[in-house]
Amino acid sequence: MSEFALSGVKILDFAWVGVGPITTKYFADNGADVIRVESAARPDVLRLAPPWKDARPGINSSQFFASYNTSKKGITLDLGKPKARELVKKLVPWADIVVESFTPKAMRNWGLDFPKLCELRPDLIMLSTCMQGQTGPNALYPGFGQLMAALSGFYYISGYDEQSPCPPYGAYSDFIAPRFSASVLMAALDYRRRTGVGQYIDMSQYEASLHNLAPALIDYFATGRILGPRGNRSDRYAPHGAYPCADEDGHERWIAIAVADDAQWEAMAKVLSANDIDRRFDSHAKRIASAKALDEFINPLTHAHNAYELTHKLQAAGVAAYPVQNCVDIHQDENLDAFDFWHWLEHKEMGPSVYEGLQHRMSRTPGALRAAAPILGQHNDEIFSGMLGLGAQEIEALKKENVIM
Amino acid sequence: MASELLKGFRMLDLADEKAALCGKIFADMGADVIKVEPPRGCSTRTIAPFLEDLPGPDRSLYAIAYHAGKKSVTANLESAAGREIVAALAAKSDFIVESYDPGFLDSIGLGYDTLAKNNPRLIYTSVMPFGDTGPARNYKWADIITWAAGGAMYMMGEEGKPPLQMSLPQAGLHAGGEASVASMLAHHARQRDGIGQRIVVNMQACIVWTLMNEQAMPILHGDHIQRTGVYTGSKDTRRKMVYRCKDGHISTLIAGGSLGGASTKALVTWMNEKGFAAPWMIEKDWTTWVPGMFMALTERDRFEISDLEDRIQKFFLTMTKKEIYDGTLKRRILLAPVATVADIAADLQLAAREYFVEVEHDTLGRRMTMPGAFAKLSRTPIGAPRRSPKIGEHNHEIYGGLLGLSDARIDELKASDAI
Repeated sequence: MSEFALSGVKILDFAWVGVGPITTKYFADNGADVIRVESAARPDVLRLAPPWKDARPGINSSQFFASYNTSKKGITLDLGKPKARELVKKLVPWADIVVESFTPKAMRNWGLDFPKLCELRPDLIMLSTCMQGQTGPNALYPGFGQLMAALSGFYYISGYDEQSPCPPYGAYSDFIAPRFSASVLMAALDYRRRTGVGQYIDMSQYEASLHNLAPALIDYFATGRILGPRGNRSDRYAPHGAYPCADEDGHERWIAIAVADDAQWEAMAKVLSANDIDRRFDSHAKRIASAKALDEFINPLTHAHNAYELTHKLQAAGVAAYPVQNCVDIHQDENLDAFDFWHWLEHKEMGPSVYEGLQHRMSRTPGALRAAAPILGQHNDEIFSGMLGLGAQEIEALKKENVIM
Repeated sequence: MASELLKGFRMLDLADEKAALCGKIFADMGADVIKVEPPRGCSTRTIAPFLEDLPGPDRSLYAIAYHAGKKSVTANLESAAGREIVAALAAKSDFIVESYDPGFLDSIGLGYDTLAKNNPRLIYTSVMPFGDTGPARNYKWADIITWAAGGAMYMMGEEGKPPLQMSLPQAGLHAGGEASVASMLAHHARQRDGIGQRIVVNMQACIVWTLMNEQAMPILHGDHIQRTGVYTGSKDTRRKMVYRCKDGHISTLIAGGSLGGASTKALVTWMNEKGFAAPWMIEKDWTTWVPGMFMALTERDRFEISDLEDRIQKFFLTMTKKEIYDGTLKRRILLAPVATVADIAADLQLAAREYFVEVEHDTLGRRMTMPGAFAKLSRTPIGAPRRSPKIGEHNHEIYGGLLGLSDARIDELKASDAI
């Protein structure tokens, strides 16, 4: 019975770190069989990164790795060894899609590039996703997502002013590119269903991410204007930003507010009991023009309020507002709860831990976190013996030679 | 030219800035995307900044960017005839993406249940700030609200100063991308059995997803990230991510071990050539240097991190962004310039891959340069998009061609303000 949207789709996944695994997670959580080919000699760097179960490092206890690899199976091969590559070649005919995210020369050097793999599966779809694409002078750029967020312009538009950049947290662009790569892979699969023809997809994470910066790029090309950091100032809303609220348990609290027009301004002023309003603030255009002074006017008015209570009052009056939530708050957020967002999964070594659920809900074929991420080599026997029919002795020998590892 | 990937499939785009990117991705992939706008135009056309700061429905840079490749028809949802025409379009469409207030389209007879009766194949994707069931589902919205609710804002900025949004709001773009993925998932289910479905995209969840697992930190480590400006990591073990240079900023994250050892060694070697490295740095085995970012540090770790950060800062101040980036590319150092749009526009890698495309905008009397294909496809390449449409530019083509309405009927609908 096919109950998931992608039941029956098969992916051989050589990708590691962020963008590749997040792309194939969409497939795995929606019923596709995804086999991750890992190396114990050079493990996925996410296996070496926090957060760890109980804050204790371990190759099988990184939640960072676990989160992006739910619902997948895992095997371990040292692709530097010819025998390992022979095993890969036996798996390729099984796969609808091959995904990899090494720097461009790796698959070619192993004889596992698209033309070679097509000899084994002529209608193969293959996605290569690296930092800057498969071609061009910087194709071999060895970065990771955090640097890509700087290179693709997101750091520069984050900060109070030119002198004080404040980058977004983490590898920001790693959460842009997978929405493009998952979409296009599914479209390629559908195209193949209609035409019988596979293809090769070269996705530069740099090029995909720049779509989240498109208006500023177009503006620069047309007029030379450079969008820079400007705190929370907006061309459309005033007030617009984060305003201080009463501390809770010694922790700072802020509320985000965005006021779009005069009616909302008046409603907000009423909720905050704002009196003696300066002439500088008597129209929406004037408020936008004097945003800094406006912030200074608002700050003392929000300061005594509880952020959640003030949110209720402002929203009841028709003003856009919400507490600025931290990572403790989001676990208690009623709206994420109502969406059934958080999930506890039992991991083979980590035991139960909390995972982000799906960001959308489908009425008829909903996806699911079907299983926790595999520990290193968890499915070696199932795949090598069950799928490829290798005998126990043969597998043992390959393990001794560190082919399977 | 649009890709052949989704040729022959039609999407009705009733989304505003909460999901305009979804239709853009579909148009890039070759679907026929029809933007259905109110007669005075979609609210996205009023998003500043405008080309040359002159407001106008064809001049919003947001609309120029994210409506490229789409067609536009107008329909007044306040009039019965306008609603009928949208229902007729839905009967001939494969996808709908919308971002009206939750329940609004249901209340005017354009909800999924009604439209699916005439078109069971329909995939109907709704993008909502807090989902369809959350207590805040009817809250007033602006992009910053989702940025705050989803946890991204809290972590951007400096301690004691306000949390920050980016200068170009991002929440609607993540939600639009997610709507595209979800719509394609439903498409696969439909290709199997011919039946569509209803999808709700939760914008708040889309932003939580961008937190790179910081969400698990309080539960697993009993610790969470503070706002620390150019640093990352928890309070006692933070690591600098941004350094000043002659003409701007540089981002790098010093690390050792298998991930960063070779890179840090190469950086130290370069610094040593120019007299900026300390003797201990030259002797250090960086491949085994792994003071964890979330783990307890020794006094020695603290000294090494701070000495390295100080000296890197002094070293970078002697060079420009470009000099440093060019130098690190040769030496394979993990580093990137904090690039401005001007740096990106001049980037040789993007030029070599012919990334940017020129789009003729006869409406503006000029060509516009835009980001090109988000991926390079061997069989069904994504070409430059058509320019963003004028309000109702395709009324005759769609209402006449697709729905078979006569010119007289279309004029009548116009006169009654239905379209």
